[in-house]
Formats: sequence, structure tokens, C-alpha cells
Amino acid sequence: MSEALHPQQFDPEKAPLITGGQTFGSITEKISSIVEKRAPKEWWLLFAMALSGLFLLLGTLGWLIWEGTGIWGLNNPVGWGWAIVNFVFWVGIGHAGTLISAVLFLFRQKWRTSINRFAEAMTIFAVICALLFPGIHVGRIWLLYYFFPVPNQMGMWPNFRSPLLWDFFAVGTYFTVSLLFWYTGLIPDLATLRDRAKKRIRKMTFGVLSLGWRGGNRQWQHYELAYLVLAGLSTPLVLSVHSVVSTDFATSLVPGWHTTIFPPYFVAGAVFSGFGMVMTLVIIARKFYGLHHIITAQHLDKMAKIMLVTSSMVGYAYSMEFFIAWYSGNVYEQFAFINRGFGNYAWAYWIMISCNVILPQFFWFKKIRYNTKLLFIASILVNVGMWFERFVITVSSLSRDFLPSSWAYYSPTIFDILTFVGSFGLFFTFFLLFLRFLPMVSMTEVKGILPEANQHHETH
Amino acid sequence: MSKKQLNGKQYWRSLNQLADTDEFRSFVENEFPEGTLELSDGLSRRKFLSLMGASLAFAGLAGCRRPIEKIIPYVISPEDIVPGIPLYYASAMPFGLESIGVLVENHEGRPTKLEGNESHPSSNGKANAFVQASILDLYDPDRAKEVSNGGESSDFEAFLLAWQDVRNKFENSAGENLAVISTEYSSPTLARLKKEFLKAYPNATWVAYEPVNDENVRRGIKMATGTLARPLYNLDKANVILALDSDFLQTESDVLRNAGDFAKGRKVTHENDQMNRLYVAESNYTVTGAMADHRFKMQSNHIAAFAAAVAIELNKQGFSVPGIDGIKSAGFSFNKSTIKALVRDLITNKGKSLILAGSRQPAHVHAIVSAMNEALSNIGETVTYYTFPDAQPSDIAEFKSLSTKMANGSIDGLIILGGNPVYNAPADFNFANALSKVEFSVHLSSKVNETSLLSSWKIPESHFLESWNDVRIAQGPSSIIQPQIEPLYASVSNIELVSAFTTGQSVKGYDLVQETWSYILSPTKFEKSWRKVLHDGVHFQSSGEISLKTNSKLLVNELQKQSFAMRTASAENLEVVFSTSASVYDGRFANNGWLQELPDPITKLTWDNAALMSRTTAKTLGLRNEDLVTLKFEGRNLNIPVWIVPGMADYSIGLELGYGQSSIGRIGDDTGVDTYKLRTSSHQGFGFGAMIVGTGLKYELASTQDHNGMDGDATAEKGVQDRLPIIVREATMDEYKHHPEFAKEAVEHPPLISMWEEKDYSEGPQWGMAIDLNVCTGCMACTIACQSENNIPVVGKDQVKIGREMHWMRMDRYFTGDIENPKSVVQPVACQHCEMAPCEQVCPVAATTHTDDGINGMTYNRCVGTRYCANNCPYKVRRFNFYHYTKDIPEIVQMAQNPDVTVRFRGVMEKCTFCLQRVNQAKITSKKNNQILVDGDVVSACQQTCPTDAIAFGDITDPNSKVSQMKQQNRDYALLGELNTKPRITYQAKLRNPNPELEKG
Repeated sequence: MSEALHPQQFDPEKAPLITGGQTFGSITEKISSIVEKRAPKEWWLLFAMALSGLFLLLGTLGWLIWEGTGIWGLNNPVGWGWAIVNFVFWVGIGHAGTLISAVLFLFRQKWRTSINRFAEAMTIFAVICALLFPGIHVGRIWLLYYFFPVPNQMGMWPNFRSPLLWDFFAVGTYFTVSLLFWYTGLIPDLATLRDRAKKRIRKMTFGVLSLGWRGGNRQWQHYELAYLVLAGLSTPLVLSVHSVVSTDFATSLVPGWHTTIFPPYFVAGAVFSGFGMVMTLVIIARKFYGLHHIITAQHLDKMAKIMLVTSSMVGYAYSMEFFIAWYSGNVYEQFAFINRGFGNYAWAYWIMISCNVILPQFFWFKKIRYNTKLLFIASILVNVGMWFERFVITVSSLSRDFLPSSWAYYSPTIFDILTFVGSFGLFFTFFLLFLRFLPMVSMTEVKGILPEANQHHETH
Repeated sequence: MSKKQLNGKQYWRSLNQLADTDEFRSFVENEFPEGTLELSDGLSRRKFLSLMGASLAFAGLAGCRRPIEKIIPYVISPEDIVPGIPLYYASAMPFGLESIGVLVENHEGRPTKLEGNESHPSSNGKANAFVQASILDLYDPDRAKEVSNGGESSDFEAFLLAWQDVRNKFENSAGENLAVISTEYSSPTLARLKKEFLKAYPNATWVAYEPVNDENVRRGIKMATGTLARPLYNLDKANVILALDSDFLQTESDVLRNAGDFAKGRKVTHENDQMNRLYVAESNYTVTGAMADHRFKMQSNHIAAFAAAVAIELNKQGFSVPGIDGIKSAGFSFNKSTIKALVRDLITNKGKSLILAGSRQPAHVHAIVSAMNEALSNIGETVTYYTFPDAQPSDIAEFKSLSTKMANGSIDGLIILGGNPVYNAPADFNFANALSKVEFSVHLSSKVNETSLLSSWKIPESHFLESWNDVRIAQGPSSIIQPQIEPLYASVSNIELVSAFTTGQSVKGYDLVQETWSYILSPTKFEKSWRKVLHDGVHFQSSGEISLKTNSKLLVNELQKQSFAMRTASAENLEVVFSTSASVYDGRFANNGWLQELPDPITKLTWDNAALMSRTTAKTLGLRNEDLVTLKFEGRNLNIPVWIVPGMADYSIGLELGYGQSSIGRIGDDTGVDTYKLRTSSHQGFGFGAMIVGTGLKYELASTQDHNGMDGDATAEKGVQDRLPIIVREATMDEYKHHPEFAKEAVEHPPLISMWEEKDYSEGPQWGMAIDLNVCTGCMACTIACQSENNIPVVGKDQVKIGREMHWMRMDRYFTGDIENPKSVVQPVACQHCEMAPCEQVCPVAATTHTDDGINGMTYNRCVGTRYCANNCPYKVRRFNFYHYTKDIPEIVQMAQNPDVTVRFRGVMEKCTFCLQRVNQAKITSKKNNQILVDGDVVSACQQTCPTDAIAFGDITDPNSKVSQMKQQNRDYALLGELNTKPRITYQAKLRNPNPELEKG
């Protein structure tokens, strides 16, 4: 491994990141065997559930296309409901992956190695879920190609002033780069699987997928450079994608949307929710697959700390919104925020505050950060809170904007709910397939932080 | 009677022989002969078109739904029809004793829209929601389609044969035990035919019954003067108006003219202009109450005492009101200084003041009002009395005695001309039972309603747009009603039926009307005059004006019999107040989807009526919005939902009539609650002593404003009140004088600068609109006119309930001030056509863009339906087709649609287009004629119908256009203009003109 990428200094004050006396061999064995052995019963059970969720989604979407967006609870002031909430929610979740892989990579955070593969896979599937929603929420799905900036017989370009179009580019780019980044990281591990494969089809499949990886010195050099470049490319995207998503709201003039703080606030929230989701998934996976030594309590501790930081950022943003609303002297702006706290959607607002601002404050305590059960519950609640954040922003602002004559309450229908539940089916179907067929922890990178990888390892 | 005489369609039959296909033959047989014509909604569009195509192959068959008798176009007199270019014909819409002169837009023999006729004094070119919506009634798929006898389908000839048998008996007895119940009418031909009928059957009875009528007013005038007469008001001459429980702008008689005249007295262009002053005392919150400068809420049963108190004060101040000496004012509990100030105001403006009372108030209130108007020298100035030329006013006493006779079995033959007495007769008459005792009963009705079902013969009634008839209004002018289309079903008109009863023969309406008019018009130039009347839509005849004097002796006598005691209502002893509905009137429009979905001007309820009550009443009774309660009144019970209306008189329960019918059609059946069930002959207007008992159940109501009720949401209420002063800008005349720029200075905002170079809109024409909030009454006519012009779908109660109503022009109503006695303001809001449109900037596919003449255009074909534009619209005027709302519109209803406007598909956003089709039509015409567009060439649908002329539309680059003139006024302001949207619609701020004496107190 390149020295530059994996600094040698090993802080003796800290406990090792990987425990249980792991060796290169044991790691390969542990991770690869999950993919090679028969799937446990629990996997099948979860997969069956996820697949039903997926079919539920497909059924709901079929009905949606047949009947129209009227099957949702949308109305005249509230033109965007759960579909857009879900879109922002899933894009937000998709943030942690790239943050962990790219940003933490550039900042040389070695603890990322145990969870980055996981997080990147999660990112890709979450972005797939996210991309679904802007597509299906339109009134005439069959004309979606009007969005594409391609020459056409109508001689029409899309409207480049519309943030929805920027969205389309931002999320699309993010998806492409994340996928490339993930795949590039997978290549050495795919080669390991190819080498361990016993059956011909498996050999061939992984052979093709690993693009002729032999593990030679020169290949490693190119690989690491490519990985670095992709990490560099992904890093601004982490900031850009949710910033652009936030402009859907920020560039409009709806009170409660029209806010300059949105881009950083959305990014912080996205990282927050992304880490929450990674935490949830990691805790399940390490329990089922016995990965306690590779994904240790220390990893969870660090993630909890990041959540604490981002939660505080989000909390700050919440309070700044109130301050600016008051400071603006604008009646509409002031009302939008008073209404959030005390109006028709106050219940949603207080769920959001409890989950996103109050709950993570418990992460100041080490005991809690090391309590897996509490972390698990907290990580789920964080995502509940973050879903409600998007709900509060989207729906409560639209529900009561400028002219009181148009104010109306929005309630979801069963189809709104089923679509959301179904999107989890889609996500978990992909995710479980990933767990089943691909190495969920980057063997290569974990090995890089083992003591053995340190050339001075023997001297300690 | 030969077939030829009956239908004049021998012509078709001979041509028919040329057409050799079975299909065509049966089509012609089924479709064309008058009397058997029927267009079922089951006929597929493809088939209809192919058959129409087949029929077009025969020259002369084109436009085959046009009547054969000559009818004269009003504006353009073409050699021939130009497909795609509508023709306009003058006609009139009968409405009880009134009628409204209309112009009918006719596309190739298919009427599609009604407008007011400018030459007709009842409409002056304006129309209300009922007139606008009546086009949909013509194409109602649930209309009565065939003659039937005891449930068996039949035809008109069979009916004539059956009548022939019975007729001999009645001829022998001179009409003994024969009776006619008609609705109120004012028609030279029907009046002539009634005379002939009574000549043939001298002993027959003819009574008129209308569930809501002005009988109290007429009897009141008789009480005071000894003569039965009806008053008509000249509100434009009145500086001070006192309305006693009278909604003269919306639900009383002659509202179109009243609203127009009232607005004339309220038009202000400058801070030094004068404006009339309106005092309203009422129990319900009405449109008139909302316009009031001073609104005194009081129970309807206190109005008599209030009128008496005003009269006594007038006496005290030296204006002797005859006949009021006997009234004891001991129990009156009105604020004396208020009454003093009010009376001083009336006296100062004597001869230019007006007191009027609602038809709900008993006769003695009207008698006092008449005497007061006389004392104030208003008679002949602001109020004029008329007799009833060619008219049949309703008379409850005659109707009662007829019902009694029917119940006794002493009526053998009964002819009911229109109406639905089984549904709307006073509950104590038990009319259904009485009707079932009549052996031979005939009901002429456009619907197979409750009355038809109990009659032995049902005869479909022609719509006024498909039959010949005539009408006359009290001021004199009469109009000929000319058909716009062949009858869609096997229907006859009331004159044709009455004539058949008299002569036993079927005579065409055209001949009947011509005969009448041969007496009216000079015989020498009859043909020419006839054509002129058809063309103009109005013929000026002598008016029925009479001059009456109060007979004090008579009045004293009458008033001594009356009680003026103020009864105290309470939670256990409630007052019930019956009123017509702004949507379905007395129930006649209940199957009209446009009207059912039209929000009530004050309650904003659609598709339902409710027990309306004040907040205090609801709080005392422990009720909330949408609670289903049992209302008990005089031993009758009714389950009805609760709706809270701030500002209603406490312990008064407002009940709208006309809902809850059981046999009117797919729209109106079981929609709302039938309040006629509580309405007895002694309490036609209001009653006392009702009780409310909760049922513990809920009944969901669909309101277009305050969805899910803001009742109890203090945050929202405060939010509304905080912003109202900048949304609906309002001042008193006094404030306006001292601060003429108040509207422009209502909001402080930073300088409005653009981020980019703005498009140049200086080259005309640039379309814009101005809406004068000071004269807008909120009558909702614009909403329906827009719906009719622009093919706006009806979405149904469930969709309205979740906030998906589609109206392009909506009427916002806000309550301001003290919530127990609030003022109310209205604001019509359509797309504001912002020059810096927030919707255009966010549409990802550029489906909404600006035209060079400043219209915010909507390209339906390009729209994918992201709804981002609607989210970003600060006015929330964009409407989304969540479903394919137009999919299930029956074929026949599609005929009401405007062929010049696209019908939108599901998934598409729509909104006001400034009547783009009219703009383009005018542009094309002017270009063809090599002229430039002048102000008035383009009239938007809302502007055209607005009874108060509150809306102006036109070129804002032309400084002399009406719209520019309005925009130049100092009251002009842009709604949410501080957002820098640069809207093309601006509003002229509202003014109120309170009495300075009362303001101090």
C-alpha cells in the first residue's frame, strides 16, 4: 500500500480499529465466506419481505400511472407531498456513502475502511430510490423525456432556469460518480472472489467484473491513483447534490422555503441522516454476520460523534431560521415559522425537533455511544426525524403560504404510504442482494489498516 | 291534428325516403321529429358524429338542430353560418315574476353560453350565476325525456287523446273541480292563454305557488295603501340605504339590477367623491351584510321591532310616519343613540334614502317600511310601485285552499305547470297526500321529480333555450324568448300545454307567441316589428307603475293587530331562518353541477347546506363544525350538520332551502338536507322555538376555504388577521380623504429590483385587469361565467373536500375585526399574469411562458405536471387535473362546452388565460377588417357578466382604456406586489362609509 495514503503512525493511545487478532487471511475468509456460503435463513426471510415491498411498490406505481396523481393526498396549495419528501429523504441518506468513502478518505480517517463499502452500496440504492420519486410524481409520466436536454423535433429545450432541471443533473451526476467510485473500490475484492471461486460460472462472472485484476504493483499504483481522483471528484458532489436539491425550495418564494441557509443546512442534514442509516444497517449486519471484530464499537462511536456534530449543525439551522424570520420583519416569513411550531403541523415539527436536535445530544455520553442497542434505536429515530424534517419543510410551508383563502391541510392517502413503504422494499431488495453477492466490507482497505500492513509493525 | 301540423317536419320525412340505410332511417325517426326527439347520453360519440355526417350529406339538413322558424341574430347578420364563428341571439330567461334579458352564444345551432342583453333593463348586459349556469340545465342528462302515464312511457298525442276523454266532462261542468297550479310568471302569452283557459272553464281555479316569493312585500304594501303592488328600487338614486333582513344584492328579487344600481352609488374614483351608505340589520350573514357600512346583527324576529323603533324615531324627529301610533315600544332594547343617528342620516338624505325589507319579513314590516319611505319622500324617487301586467303572483292562501280541496277529494283534474310542490309546499299542507287524491293530474316538468312521480301524467317541459315564449317585466319591457336549438327531448312548453288544455289541439309555441304579439305590435308592419323585437330582445311597453298613498286609518288598524314584541331566543329556544341558496336557489338548480360546486359567497360551502350558527350559539350548544345534529321545530325533526358563521345573530339558525331532493338527478339527489320539511305555512320566513339535540355523529362538509376548519386554531387566526390589512386593503371614506395614498402605502418593503434585465412590455396591446374591491359584492357570477367560458370541470364533493376545486376565478372571503360581530371582505382572485411570473421561472419544461402581449400562457401539450408552478405561485391560482375530470362527462353535457377552448387532460396544470380565445378572436377580426383594436373589443368572461362592473379588462398601454383609468386611481394596489411579481391584475382598495356619528360612539 502506498505510504501516502495510509500513514504509518499508529496512535498507541487508541485501541486498534480491528480487533480479535485478525490477519489478512482471517479477514479474507470472514468476508468472502459470507458471499460464498449458503445464505442464512434470516436472509431469505428478510429478502422475502423486501421483495414483497418491491412488488407493493410496483403495484402502487401501476395504479398511479393508470389513475393519476389524484390517488395521493395532494391538493391545490400542497402540490408536493410524500413523493418529494421521500425523494429528499432518500437523497439525504445517499449522502453518507460518498462522505465516508471520499471525504473521510481524503482526510485519512482509517476507521472508514470497515464501513465504506457498505455505505457506498447504501448510497447507490438510496439514490435509485430517490430518483424514482421525481419521475413518478409528475402528472404525465409518459412525457418525462421533455426533461432531457436533447435536440428534438419540437425545437424545445427544457427551461434551464428551473431548479428541477438542476436537480436532475445534480442527482444524475452524483449517481454516476458514486457508482463508478463504488465499482472501482470493488475491483480488488472482486478479484479475490474470482480467485476463491470454485464453480465455472462464478469464476467467469467475477472474472469479467474484476476487469483482469492481478494485484500487481503497477495495477495497485494505477488503482490507487484512480481511486484518489474519483475521491477528489466525489467530494464536491457531496456538497453539491444536496445543495442543488435544496435550491428546489430555496429559489422559490414560498415562505419557509425561500431561505439562504438551505444549502449547508440540507448537506448537514443529509450527512446526519446518512450516518443514521449506515448505523442502522451496520448494526444489523454485524450482528447477523458476526462482524464484531471488523466493525467494532469504536466505529459506532465515531459515527455517533459525527451524528452529534451534524445534529448540532441542523439544530443551529433550525434556530437560525426562526431568528431570520423574526429579523426579516416579513409577516409571511414570521408566520411560516410560528405556524411550524404551533400551527396545523406542529406535531410533525416537534417530532422533528425531538429526534434531530434533542435525541442526539445524548451522544455526548460515552456510555451511550458504546451501547449498541441504544445506538440502534437512536439511529432509527434520527431517520424518522429527518423524514419529518423534509415533511415539515415541504408540506407545512405549502399548506399555509401567502393568501389564507387557499390554505388547506394535506393528509396522505394509503397510496402515499404504500409508495413510501414500497421504496424501502426496493432499497432492501437491492441491499440484500448486495450482501448476498458482494463483499460487504472492503477487504483490501481493512487489510491496509491492520498492524501487519505497517512496515514497522514488527518493531512494536 | 296531423303530424305535419304538430311538428312541421314533413320535410324531413320526404328526404328520409332518399336515405336508404336502416340506421339512418331509424336515426331520423328517433331523432328528428319534434315531439319524439331524443338524444340519450348512451349514444356513442363516434356514432353520433357518423350519423351527423350522414345527415350532412343531404343539403338543408346541415345544422339540423336549428329550429325552422326564423330567429334573428343580434349582432352579426350573416348570409349563412360560418363554421367556427358563433352567432348571438337575443332571448330572455324567465325567473318567477322577473326575467333576465340574455344574449345566447350559438355555435352552429348549439347554444353554449349566456350573457346579459345590454338593451334589456333587467340585466343591462350583465348576468348572475343562475343565468350563467342555466345553459348546463339545458343539457342536463337527467331531464324528463318522454311523456309518461302512470309510469308507462307514452307520447304527447296519446296524452291529447286521454285529455279529450276527460275534457268533455269539464266542458260540461264549466271546469268545476278543475284546477291549475302554476309557478309565478309574467308572460303576455301565458296570461292570454290563462284568460282563454278560464273562458273555456269558468269555474276552474288557477293559483300560483312559488316556495320563495314576495307575497309578504305585496301584502305589506296593501296593508299600508290598500292596493296590492310590488316595489322596485332605484338604488342608484339612494344615498342612504337601510336594509332590514333584506339581501337585495344576492337573493331577493331583481338582484341584477339592484346590484348594478347599488354599485353606481358606490363607485369612487377620487378621494373627494361621494359614496352611498348602507345600513343592514339582519340575522344571517349575507352578501348584502358583507357590503354594509354598518351591520346590526339581530334575530329576524327583532326586525319588526327595529323597523317600528326607526319609525317612532322618525316621528320624534318631525317626520310623521302615518299609522304607527298604536305601536308600543316599551319592550324594545335597541341602542337609542344608534337609532337616532341612523334616523338623522335618513332624514338628511330624504328623497335620496331608501328603506327596504326582505321578503322573509312579515307583511306588517313592509307596511311600516312603505309608510317610512313615504314619510321620507322616497316614493317615486328611490322606490316605485308597480302592478302586475301579464303576471301571476303567488298566493299562499289560495294555494292552501286548493290543497285542502284536493285532500277532500273535490278536485278531479289538476294541471301543475312546472315547479315541485310535493317537495317544496309548506310541510303542514301535506301536499303529497292531497295530490294522490286527484284522479287526473298532469305535471309539466323538466325533471321527473317528486311531484311528477305522484301525478298520473308526466310531461317533459322544454327549456327556455329550446322553446318559443315571451316574458314581461314590471317596468314594461317585454321580450320574446326564441329557441336556440330544437327540443332535445319530447318536451313541450307551458304555453303549448295550456293551449292544448283549452283547445284540445296541439298548437306550436311559435304560433301562440305570434298570435299574442299580433295584438301587441302594430298589425301593419307586423313582420318588420316582430323581427326587430327578436333582434333587440326587448320591446318597450307601458309600465305598470302606479302611485300609492298610505291610508293611515287602514294601517293603524292593521298594525294594532300585530305584535312587535322582541322574543328572546336562547339555546333552548332557537330561531330558525329560512333562506334561498346562492347555489341552488329554491331547489330548481339542484341538479346543476356548476352551481352545486359553486362555493356559497359567505359560508364557502359546496354541495351541501347546513345549520348555520354563530360562534356563541355553537359554543353554548357545545357544537363544532360538521357535527350532525337533530333540529326540532314544531314537532318536526331534521338531521343536519352544523356550520359556524361568525357574525350571525346569536341563537338564530340559518337554513338554506333547495337541497336534499330525492328525484332530481345524479347531481342533486340526496345532496344536502331538505329544510322544506321544517317549513310550515305560518313560518315561511322564520320561526321561533326550535331546539337542537346532538346525535354524536359527524357529517363531512366540503368548503373551499378554511379547509378542515380554522375553528380553534389561534395561530392561524392571528396569522390571517396580521396579513389581512395588506391583502385586502381597506379604509373608511374619512381615512381615504386624509390619506388618499393609503392603499399604496400599506406595506413597507425594500426597493424592488430585478436580478436580470426585464422584458420590455411597452408596446401595445398589453393586457391587464383592474378589480374594484369597493363595488365587488362577491356574488360569484364571475366564477360561473369563467367556468362556462373555459370548460372548467366539476370535480365533486370528495375532491372539493380535499382541496381540488378547479375554479379559475375564485372569490376569497375574509372576516375582519371582532370575531363575534365581524366585517367581511371579498376579493376575486384569478391568475394575476405577473410580468415576473414565479411559475414561469420554475417550470422545468417551459410549459408556462409569457406572450408578447403580457399574458401568462399555459401550453397544455407541453405540461408534464410537476406542479412546481403551483407551489411557487403566491396567489395559488393554478389548478391541477389530479384525475381525468372530463372523462365521464356525458355526451349531452359536452354540448355545453365552448368549442374555442381546449378541454384539459389529466396530469396537466391549468389556470386563467385572460380569455385568450376572446383576445385572439378580437385580434383576428380587427386584422381582417384592417382596424386597430379599441377598448372594449376584448371583454373577458368575468368582466362581461359582473353585475356591478367591478372588473375592467383591456390594454394597459392605452391611457384612455377603462382598465388604465382604473389603474390610475390612487386606491390601486397590486396584491402581494411587494414580492416583485409585477402582476397585471391590480385591485382598487375597498372603502367603507360609516356614519361619523356612530363611529364616535
